[in-house]
Amino acid sequence: MKKNGWIPTVCYQCKAECAILVRLEDGCIKEIRGNPKARGKACVKGMAGISLEYDKDRLTRPLKRTGKRGEGKFEPISWDEALNIITDKLKSLKDRGEAHKLTANFFPHSITDPKWRFLDAYGGFINTALPHCDSGKIVACIKTMGGVPNHHIPPAWFTVPKDGIMIMSGRHAFGGLDDASAPGHILDAKARGAKLVVLDPIFTADAAKADWWIPIKPAGDTAFFLGMIQHIIANDLYNKKFIDKWVREGDFNKLKNYIEDKTPEAMSKICDVPAADIKKLATECAKAPSVGVDSFKGIMLGQALDFGHAWTIFLAVTGNIDNPGGQPLPDLTPMTPVEPVPVGPDLNELGWHRTGKDKESFSNYSFIMEPTWYQAQAIKNGDLKVLINSEANPALTEMGHKEWRDAVCMVDDNDEYKLELLVSYEIMLSETSKYADLVLPDKSYFERWELLYMPWWYNFGKGVLLRQPVVEAPGKCRHSNEIFIELGKRLVPEYFTFKDDVEYYDIQLAGLGLSVKKLQDMGGLWSPRTMGFRKYEKNGGFGTPSGKLHLYWEDLEGVNQAMPRPGLAPEYEVNIDKYPFILISYRTIFHAGAGQWTHNNPQLRDTVSGFFENPVLINKSAATKLNIKDGDNVTMSSRTGQIKCKAKLTERIRPDCVGLVHGFGSTVGRTATMGQGVSDNILIPDSGSTLDWQDVVGGESHVSTRVRIEK
Amino acid sequence: MKQLSLMIDLSRCIGCKTCIVACRNFHGLVDYEAALPNEIPFYLRVESKREGVYPEISVNSWVMPCQHCKNAPCIKACKADAITKDPDTGIVRINKEKCAGEKDCIEACPYSVIQFNKQENYAHKCDLCFDLIHAGGIPVCVETCMTDAISFGEKEVLRQRAQDEGKDILKKMSAQSILYVQNPTAS
Repeated sequence: MKKNGWIPTVCYQCKAECAILVRLEDGCIKEIRGNPKARGKACVKGMAGISLEYDKDRLTRPLKRTGKRGEGKFEPISWDEALNIITDKLKSLKDRGEAHKLTANFFPHSITDPKWRFLDAYGGFINTALPHCDSGKIVACIKTMGGVPNHHIPPAWFTVPKDGIMIMSGRHAFGGLDDASAPGHILDAKARGAKLVVLDPIFTADAAKADWWIPIKPAGDTAFFLGMIQHIIANDLYNKKFIDKWVREGDFNKLKNYIEDKTPEAMSKICDVPAADIKKLATECAKAPSVGVDSFKGIMLGQALDFGHAWTIFLAVTGNIDNPGGQPLPDLTPMTPVEPVPVGPDLNELGWHRTGKDKESFSNYSFIMEPTWYQAQAIKNGDLKVLINSEANPALTEMGHKEWRDAVCMVDDNDEYKLELLVSYEIMLSETSKYADLVLPDKSYFERWELLYMPWWYNFGKGVLLRQPVVEAPGKCRHSNEIFIELGKRLVPEYFTFKDDVEYYDIQLAGLGLSVKKLQDMGGLWSPRTMGFRKYEKNGGFGTPSGKLHLYWEDLEGVNQAMPRPGLAPEYEVNIDKYPFILISYRTIFHAGAGQWTHNNPQLRDTVSGFFENPVLINKSAATKLNIKDGDNVTMSSRTGQIKCKAKLTERIRPDCVGLVHGFGSTVGRTATMGQGVSDNILIPDSGSTLDWQDVVGGESHVSTRVRIEK
Repeated sequence: MKQLSLMIDLSRCIGCKTCIVACRNFHGLVDYEAALPNEIPFYLRVESKREGVYPEISVNSWVMPCQHCKNAPCIKACKADAITKDPDTGIVRINKEKCAGEKDCIEACPYSVIQFNKQENYAHKCDLCFDLIHAGGIPVCVETCMTDAISFGEKEVLRQRAQDEGKDILKKMSAQSILYVQNPTAS
C-alpha cells in the first residue's frame, strides 16, 4: 500500500487528461487537486473522480452474455475463459484473411497506446471514439499547415498579449476539454487587456464572460470566417509580409479570386450575422497583435473540412501561426520507438468506411480515421466482424444510435450475429455493455500505468506525464492495456517481447534518459518548459510538401473543395417547414461525452454540484408562440426519431434553435438512470442509412438536425 | 474587529462548481459508495443572475457559502448554545457535541447554508476550513477555484485590495462577512 500523502498522477475524467495530485489516507483516496507543478487546476469532473472510484456500480469480474444482445443478461466468468474466447475468435478471423475486420473503439492516450500497437500488429483498425469532424479538421490542418493535427490544440491562452483577440467559435472552453487551467488563463488574458469574442448560437458560460457574443446561426462559421477573410483582403488588411514569405506561390491569388464574391454582405445571409459585425471583427483581427481561434470541440461542426480550411486560411492571412496568442504548432516529444514497429493495415485498401453508398466520393479524401458512426454500416456490409470497445459508449454516443443497436443485433441466415464478437471494457455497466458478449472489468485511472506525451489539447511543447496506480483495483479488474498486451503475446508475439506495460514505457522513455521509475521519482512529469514560437523559420518551413502554407487544395478540385465552401450543412435544408428548429447538442463542464464516469457519478448529477437532467432549451419568444411554458413536458421530433422531455425557457439561445445537453439517456446505472435524461442521438439521423454527406465533408449533424416541438 | 473573509469575484466565477465538490471531499461529506444525487450535503452552492432579453443578455454567477454573519441569527436561534462566533476570526462555528439536533438554526439562517446530518443528529456548515487556516492553509474553495475567483484573508484587507484593483464591491450581497466584487460595468 502506498504511503499517506499527495501522489502525482493524471486525471481521466475527460480527454484533457490534466495533471493532478491525489491525497491518499490509509489506502483510500480522499482529495484531488490540480498539480501545481503542471498547471495546478482540476475541474469539477476531476474533483468528482473519487465518486467514480468507490461507486457501488464498479464492475469487479468478467461477465459473459447469457441472454440476447441488448438484454443485458450476464454470468460471471474467469479471465482465462474470457481471454480464450477473444483469442480464438481473433485467430480464426486472421486465418480467414479478415484481420482488418477487427476494430477497437477507444480514445488513444498516445499514438503508441498499447491498444493501438496491438491493432497495427494484428491488422485491425482503430476508431478513436471521437467524432468524424475531428478527422475533417485534422485533415484541414495537415493540408494547409502540415505537421501534427493541431486542431486539437487551442491557442496557449497564457501567451495572449494585451489587445490580442481570443475567438471561441462554437467552442466551450469553460465547459472543459482543453485543460482545467484554460478558463483562468482566458480570464487572465482579458485582465491584461485581451478581448474575448464568442460565436455561438447558445449564450454559454464563455459568452457570459465575453466582450462580444455573436449569436451566429449553427454551422454558419465557415461563411463567417470567409466573410472576414474577404474583408481583410479587399481592404488590404492582410499580413503581406507573412503571406509573401510563407504562403505557396500562386495560392494567395487563387484565394483572392475565389473570395471576391464572399463579401460580408453575402456571407451574412448564410451565417445570419450582420455584415457590419463581420467587418468589425475582421478589421479588429487584422490590427490586433494576435488572434487565437479555438474551435475544437464545439457545436459548429457542420462541415468540418470546409470550416477547418477557412479557419487555417484566416490564420494565414492574419499571420497568426505559431506566434504568441495565435495558433500553436506543438513539438512532438522524441520517444524511443519500440522495435519492431508494427505497420497497420492500409485504410484506403481495407478500411470499411468506404463501403457505403458514397464509397466513390470518399476516395477523394484523405481522412485518417474511420468515422466512428459508420460502425453500423460496416456491420451490415459484413466489413466489421469483431468490435472491442473501451472507454467509450457507442450505444449512446452514436448519431442515430438505434441504427448501431440494430446493427450489432443483426443476424445472418444461420441466425448468427453478423458482428461475431462484441467486447466491452467497462468501469461500470453502460448502455454499450448491454449489447456486449463479454464485459471486462477495467481499471480506473487511479489504478493503472499510462504514459502520456502527445501534443494534443492544452499541451504545446515537449513533455511527458505519468499516470500511476494510486490505489489497488477492486476485485479482478485488469486494465485494457494489460489485456491487449496479453492478446499481443498470444497472437503477434514478435511485437510483444517486452514484459508488460511498464517495460514498454521504459523503452519509450529511454530516449529522454528516463524510465518509469525515474519519472515517478521526479514527480511524474518531465518537460523542458518551452513551447517556442515561429519554429517554421528555423525548421525551413512548414510540414507541407512545399514547405509553405497551402491555401489551395488542388487534390480536391474534382469535388469542388479546393477552396472552402460557405454553405450550411445539407441537413440544414431538409424539411424546413415540418421541422422549424435546429437542434444543438451542447456540452457542459459536468459531463464528458456519454460515459458512465460522469453520467453515473452522483456528484456530477447532483443538482448542487453537477447537472441532473437535460431539459430542452427553448427561447422564450419561440416557446410563447407554441404556448409552451417553463417546465412543460414536450415532444421533440426529427425526421428519424422522437423524444419526450421537459422544456426549459431561456433567453440564452437563438429563437430558431433548441438545445439539448449531449450524453444523457442511459438505461443502466444507479445514478445515470435518475431524472428525465434523454438522448440527443435518438433525434440525430444515423450516417449509414439516413445521411450520406457527412463522411465526405467530415461533418456531424449535431448542429444541423431539424426538429419540431409540440406540447 | 477581527473578521476573516472570502472575496468572491463575479467577473471570474464561471459557475463551474469545482469548489463545491472539492469542499465536500475535504470535509468528508460524501459517502462515496452509497451517495445518490440531490441527497449529498454541501457547504457552498452556486447562484446566478440572468438578465436581459435575447440577444442583449448577461449571466453572473457566484458562490454562496455561510456568510459568517455579523449578528448571526443561527446563534440566537440555537437553544443549546452550540453556535458561536469565534472572536479571533469571526468564523461562525457549530459545536457538534453541543448540538441537540433541533434544527432551529436551519430555520433561522437567511442564507439556507446549514446542513443536517440525520444519522448522527447534528447541524453542520462551512467553517472557513477552521483547522486548515489555523495551520497556515487557505480554505479549500479558495485553493481549488478553477479561475481564482475566490480570495481569502481579513475582510478589511480584502476590501482594501478590491478598491485598489478597481473592483466594485457589491454592497447588498456583501451585507455580512463575505465580500462580493466585480469589474466595473461599462456605463
